[in-house]
Amino acid sequence: MNRVVLVERLVPNLYRLVVEAPEVAASARAGQFVMVIPDGKGERIPINLADWDKEKGTVDLVFLNLGVSTRKLASLKPGDRVEGIAGPLGRAPEIPAATEVLLVGGCYGVGGLYPLARELKQAGVRVIFLAEARSRAYLYWQERLKKFSDLFLTVFRSDCLGPAQELRELIKKIKSGHPDLSLVLVMGCSYLLFKVSEATADIQLKTLVSLNPIMVDGTGMCGACRVSVASKTYFACVDGPWFEGHGLDWKEYFNRRKAFLSQEEQALVRLDREFWKRTE
Amino acid sequence: MSGKDRLESGQAERLRKAREMDWRKVLRREISVQNRLTRPRHNMPEQPVANRVRNFLEVNLGYTLELARAEARRCLDCGQPGCVAGCPVAIDIPTFIKYIEAGELDRALEKIRETNGLPAICGRVCPQEVQCERACNLVQAGKEPVAIGHLERFVADYLCTRESTGPLPTESRGAEPGKCKVAVVGSGPGGLTAAADLARLGYQVTVFEALHLPGGVLAYGIPEFRLPRAILQSEINFIRALGVEIKTNFIVGRTASLDDLKQAGYLAFFLGTGAGLPSFMNIPGENLLGVYSANEYLTRVNLMKGFRFPEFDTPVPRARRVAVIGGGNVAMDAVRTALRLGASQAVIYYRRSRAEMPARAEEIKHAEEEGIEFNFLTVPVRFLGNERGQLRGMVLQRLALGEVDASGRPRPVPIPGSEFEVEVDLAVVAIGQSPNPLLIKQLPLKLGPWGNIEVDYQTMATGLEGVYAGGDAVRGGATVILAMGDGRTAARSIDFYLSRKKD
Repeated sequence: MNRVVLVERLVPNLYRLVVEAPEVAASARAGQFVMVIPDGKGERIPINLADWDKEKGTVDLVFLNLGVSTRKLASLKPGDRVEGIAGPLGRAPEIPAATEVLLVGGCYGVGGLYPLARELKQAGVRVIFLAEARSRAYLYWQERLKKFSDLFLTVFRSDCLGPAQELRELIKKIKSGHPDLSLVLVMGCSYLLFKVSEATADIQLKTLVSLNPIMVDGTGMCGACRVSVASKTYFACVDGPWFEGHGLDWKEYFNRRKAFLSQEEQALVRLDREFWKRTE
Repeated sequence: MSGKDRLESGQAERLRKAREMDWRKVLRREISVQNRLTRPRHNMPEQPVANRVRNFLEVNLGYTLELARAEARRCLDCGQPGCVAGCPVAIDIPTFIKYIEAGELDRALEKIRETNGLPAICGRVCPQEVQCERACNLVQAGKEPVAIGHLERFVADYLCTRESTGPLPTESRGAEPGKCKVAVVGSGPGGLTAAADLARLGYQVTVFEALHLPGGVLAYGIPEFRLPRAILQSEINFIRALGVEIKTNFIVGRTASLDDLKQAGYLAFFLGTGAGLPSFMNIPGENLLGVYSANEYLTRVNLMKGFRFPEFDTPVPRARRVAVIGGGNVAMDAVRTALRLGASQAVIYYRRSRAEMPARAEEIKHAEEEGIEFNFLTVPVRFLGNERGQLRGMVLQRLALGEVDASGRPRPVPIPGSEFEVEVDLAVVAIGQSPNPLLIKQLPLKLGPWGNIEVDYQTMATGLEGVYAGGDAVRGGATVILAMGDGRTAARSIDFYLSRKKD
């Protein structure tokens, strides 16, 4: 059982949970995730580490309130307990000797990339941060991120993710203005990961994406999270979550994330009813 | 599978002495051997098939006291008991059975617990038919063996509410164990046994479990209809009562490394990390929606209680036509689970024939009674998907049995041109698993061909000082009882190692 220190709504639907997990905080590395079990009847879901504090023994998780588990987490109050936090899991991305790195974050990935921006900047790498959001009102953590980026850019969904052409142009423009840029790290919704990978493939710019497939145990035991890269199967929980975006079988990835769509909806409707009963 | 061929001389002597006790002689005189031989084996009462295929309650209902005592009377209490040698942990089987016959159940349990820390579990999941019961002398007399497994289970269940610690196994060799911290990695049968033995010797034991519930394969793999979770819980409570601390959600190798634990003062280690890496067949279509590893399917159902979705949040796939590939216990568990989740067709595809199936005899019997369809000598070569990437069928190939291979079983050989197609909505791949590499790969351990840890089987010592290993991490897919035997051997070795270290 882990005690909740803080639950904060950052922007509509995006939440920050600060929870005690001293052993996780002690071993955490940028780019890793944890498995969270909200309560005794809960699922095990992966959430990226958005920050941690070794002294206080806490970890920060930024998540999108989307399904049953995240809704349960979003409704927690300080002093409540979550059933379990296990981690840190996955491998930190392997970053070759780079002088300049572009981080593209959308949704929960803006928070999830924060530790990487900090680590890279402190290692002397030039950091460009591109934050993607639905609109200006959906941006969060800008001040924090600016502290660890040499260039902080924003892109809004209406501009870019509709006609993907614009995102492509934007990335091309960044690359032409920054010839030393040799690596792109992307975290956020699947569509963003896919679109950025597509754009960087054109200009042969190495791109690592943080995948977020369905997981059960998160330790390599079940194989729910299998993904195909260059026709070879990997387990995202232990081999990833970072993979080269260019060789990934995106169609399979999108599809496997939908394995339990109807049950997820059913569970959500049931939870909503329960929440209503409590408020009545 | 089976235990040692012969007993150590000390043990044979102990068995002989126990047999010469007066009360045993009296019991032997009460009913003649001839009379005992005429008594038929008492069947295990079971849930009727029509009911049990719709619930997750245990299929076997357990002996009553009357049935147990009646079955115990079938045991001849012979001078050369084969059963003890057939048991991987050499339980003094005749003595515990005679205690049942005498109605002294407390003593029966104590006797079992001397060598077996998890009797309620072993009574349920051990493959007795190839171990103790195969070596029962009644078999040589042309009779059915004494139902040793059923009796073991009965004793454990009957007394499960009472926490008898039993006699301490052995005195420590003097390592001042109270001051020594020992770490056990993994809370499966091997880890729990090692932990219990070390705690009884006085060590401070911490078990580190990666999942949120203890039990390892007993919690995530074996379904409730074979091993009710209340039984597992009571066995784990018993081990906690011995002073063992179990830390869940702690992944050794990620949350902390083995070196971190050394720094934290742990002086010796038992690695019981299990065989948590599922094997796939590497055939086309294996990543379609609807193709699952048995590990995922069973973990969703057992550990996460997905069969009670949506009361519990973890969904499980439900389908009409379910195919399970494999012939072991895991395959039987998966296919019978599918049936209970509402499948109208639950089918086993196994590449060898019925005789080679590695599953426990009772599981095969139960599966057949429940209407599971078996297809032998067939293997999938391709999964077929629809336009939405969902499984719709598979292409199978027929096989013939060829020459005996390294495993001692005939090798299945494909018959060219024998491919055929079946319609399937859900496929579960249960062809085995190999040791989970997460921690193992981080250590300079000597590994075998399947990524298994190589050990000295006499001591369960790995090549690393102070690091011992056992169970499926060493053996690949083995049995609960062998893992327990390893845990016991390792506990003894760790005690020896720490005692010597002190000198």
